[in-house]
Amino acid sequence: MTNNSKCVKYNDYFSDQLYTWCTNCGNYALHSALKRALVAEKIAPKDTLMVFDIGCHGNGADKIDAYTVHGIHGRVIPFAAGAQLANRNMKVFAFGGDGGILSEGINHLVHAIRCDFDLVFVLHNNRNYGLTTGQASATTPKGFEMNSAPNGVTEEPINPTEFVLSLDPTFVARGFSGNIKKLTQIFKQAINHQGFSFVEVLQDCPTYNSATPHNWYLERVIDVDIFDNYDRSDIKQAKKICKDMAEKIATGVLYKNEDSDDYYTRQPSRKDMKSELVEEVQQEQITELLEEFR
Amino acid sequence: MKHNRFVIKIGGASGQGINSVGEIMAKGLKRTGFNVFAYREYPSLIQGGFATYQLDFSDRDINASSMNWDLAICLSRDAIHNLITNLNKNGILIHSIETTVLSRKEKELIEEKDLKIIKIEAKEVIKEMGGIKILENIFLLNIAWRLLDLNNKVIKQIIKERFIDKKKVLRMNLKCIEEAQNYNLPQGINKFKINFSQDESNKSNLLITGNYAMALGAIAAGVRAYYAYPMTPSSSILTYLAKVAEKTGMLVKQAEDEITAVQMTLGSMHMGTRALVATSGGGFDLMSESFSMAGMAEIPLVCIVAQRPGPATGLPTWTAGGDLNMAVYAGHGEYPRCVYAASDAGSAYLVVQKALNTAEKFQIPVIVLTEKQIAESFYLLNNLPESLEIERGLVVGKEIENIESKDRYKITDTGISPRWLPGQTPNTFYANADEHFEQGRITEDKDESKKIYKKRMKKLQTLKKELPEPEVFGKEQGDILFVGWGSVKATVLDVMNLQNQKNISYLHYECLYPVKTEKFQNIKDNFNKIVLIENNYSGQLGDLIKLGCGHNFENKLLKYDGRPFFIEEILDYIESIND
Repeated sequence: MTNNSKCVKYNDYFSDQLYTWCTNCGNYALHSALKRALVAEKIAPKDTLMVFDIGCHGNGADKIDAYTVHGIHGRVIPFAAGAQLANRNMKVFAFGGDGGILSEGINHLVHAIRCDFDLVFVLHNNRNYGLTTGQASATTPKGFEMNSAPNGVTEEPINPTEFVLSLDPTFVARGFSGNIKKLTQIFKQAINHQGFSFVEVLQDCPTYNSATPHNWYLERVIDVDIFDNYDRSDIKQAKKICKDMAEKIATGVLYKNEDSDDYYTRQPSRKDMKSELVEEVQQEQITELLEEFR
Repeated sequence: MKHNRFVIKIGGASGQGINSVGEIMAKGLKRTGFNVFAYREYPSLIQGGFATYQLDFSDRDINASSMNWDLAICLSRDAIHNLITNLNKNGILIHSIETTVLSRKEKELIEEKDLKIIKIEAKEVIKEMGGIKILENIFLLNIAWRLLDLNNKVIKQIIKERFIDKKKVLRMNLKCIEEAQNYNLPQGINKFKINFSQDESNKSNLLITGNYAMALGAIAAGVRAYYAYPMTPSSSILTYLAKVAEKTGMLVKQAEDEITAVQMTLGSMHMGTRALVATSGGGFDLMSESFSMAGMAEIPLVCIVAQRPGPATGLPTWTAGGDLNMAVYAGHGEYPRCVYAASDAGSAYLVVQKALNTAEKFQIPVIVLTEKQIAESFYLLNNLPESLEIERGLVVGKEIENIESKDRYKITDTGISPRWLPGQTPNTFYANADEHFEQGRITEDKDESKKIYKKRMKKLQTLKKELPEPEVFGKEQGDILFVGWGSVKATVLDVMNLQNQKNISYLHYECLYPVKTEKFQNIKDNFNKIVLIENNYSGQLGDLIKLGCGHNFENKLLKYDGRPFFIEEILDYIESIND
């Protein structure tokens, strides 16, 4: 985001580590779209902080060149929020799966939306726990047999986008790993949104999710752009269109509110401050503050 | 008046303004020119129950409480029965309760110690002047002030400062003070004779709690973001920092839980500002996985843990020093860490600064222990100590140009690798909580895993070399050497300050882990008796010292009832082991 990073190439995001995901994993397409969006927005790896959760996607943390962090399960959102508040010159991303975000750390998702931290959050939704070899997640379809529920999952699944829309967010998108071009467009808009950008990516897990494989999505995914009268600023429309996860699954940027200030901007203590928190670490005089104790 | 101090105890129900009266009186005593120490006891509820505020004052340095008092101010019936027992000889108890039936035992006590129980018609006076009920406490305060034979100008001034923006409240308060001044005290009541000299310099001194001092220490040390979830007794750090945030520009965030608070702190520290988090034991339990992450990813972290008695919810509003083991052992896996403990307001100010430097220089998680006793008691200080130089251990200046991505976890002699900040150079790095090698990428290779593990642990040895030995108070030989940490320091030092206690010394551990035992080993044979003194059941520092040098503490003075050590308890103990 600094001037010297105007010329950013796709290759700049290449790491010398080899990918270790399964053949046909949805993560490949997601990484490809992410890099394309960053290059299109002229953001250099140097100016990007990416925070990865635990899970297969987290094993991608060293497969992309940026300032990256691989933390503990379920906690990417608060880490990324703390980082972003400290230095807004960096573009901050957080990545998590349906396990880490909709089970272990769902509270963080709820409050990050309330706060509207200015970061891009990507939900890798492959509808199961892949890295631990195929247990049910909060998005696994009910009745489906998983190794932790051999007679079929008994819980109702969460529809993540519907859940997020209930929390009065400022940016909600849903993409599909089978459409890199569309996903790139979504990421570009998410990057440019000032506030918490929620991007759910429906993705194939070729090894453990036979309930909703790649072809299943191909037959069902629709793009909201095909509707002439779709109004992205109308949360009611978004709430309505996101419900269907069985026949016509709506993708694209579903909802955007550009009129709300993000968390940092709302802080009275940071009003009129030109510097970033990272630039302010120095000894401070406290003489004036001591008066009330005399 | 025993042990060179005069003690006032104010008692009543929560919600009766006990705290306000206590604070006004503490400030009044300070501005009169006395040394004062203020100690609170209160239950975990908003209204009702039984709460007290105790003021010990003297003409010498005092930082702990007596367990007996000379003057009791009672705002509830409970208070009368609770506070009568520990009145010193010739003590006075004033109250405003309509009818009180004293037990036979209480009556005997009054006889035996020649106590005066005085009913003050506060309710009636307040009603007559058209004031609200809560003013009773100000009325009684001023009656007490008259009994102490002190000038009420200071009280008027404090009241004026307190209600500067509330004209009507101020007018009623001042009227109340006048009424108290003109109130007819019963016949035969002698005012107390306070023989302490009044020291002019005390008037401009600070009267401050450990929590406020710690918050100020953080502000002075360049902390720019504070994250916390409320938990007694750490909460006043959050509320104070929030109150002054517009002056300091600090970003202060109440998080949705302790895990969020610690992760946001980690994120901010990782990005390169100074951030801080505080909690109590239960909240820290929730943070321990994140603490372990800081150890592995080598992200600096400072967490203040304000102790109260556990386990579980325990005694939420009382004091303890029982979380040392937790601080030393919390979090899975092995990784270097450092544990400091504050002992009073002055040390609280500095110890948080020490912790920030240690965390950044060594890229490790650091715990700062404090206690309800330190967090919420008011201490008198000439001034806060001078702030420490900020040491960040970052790659600086031209060096950044030579940095390569693979240097982030570079294996070095000290175990400390170069640390730079995201965004500083195109040579990015990968901060990894999975096992990794020098450049941060994941490894599962046995040789690499072992090498990087050793590198991390090496930092503990480097740190131990740099840390100071515990401090000796008093002579390095004598009769008894007390060994302790935390708030016990203040009580032992108060005892040592008494004229007849010349043969006592105290060894104080401010840095508890990695534990240093050289000083202890060098001086322990110069004493007839070594006594471990701690605010917990098992003697946790004693166990650490034993691990460090094999010393087995035979004499232990341990307290685990939610109360701090009072001076009489140490005096009695000294007498008992000298018998």
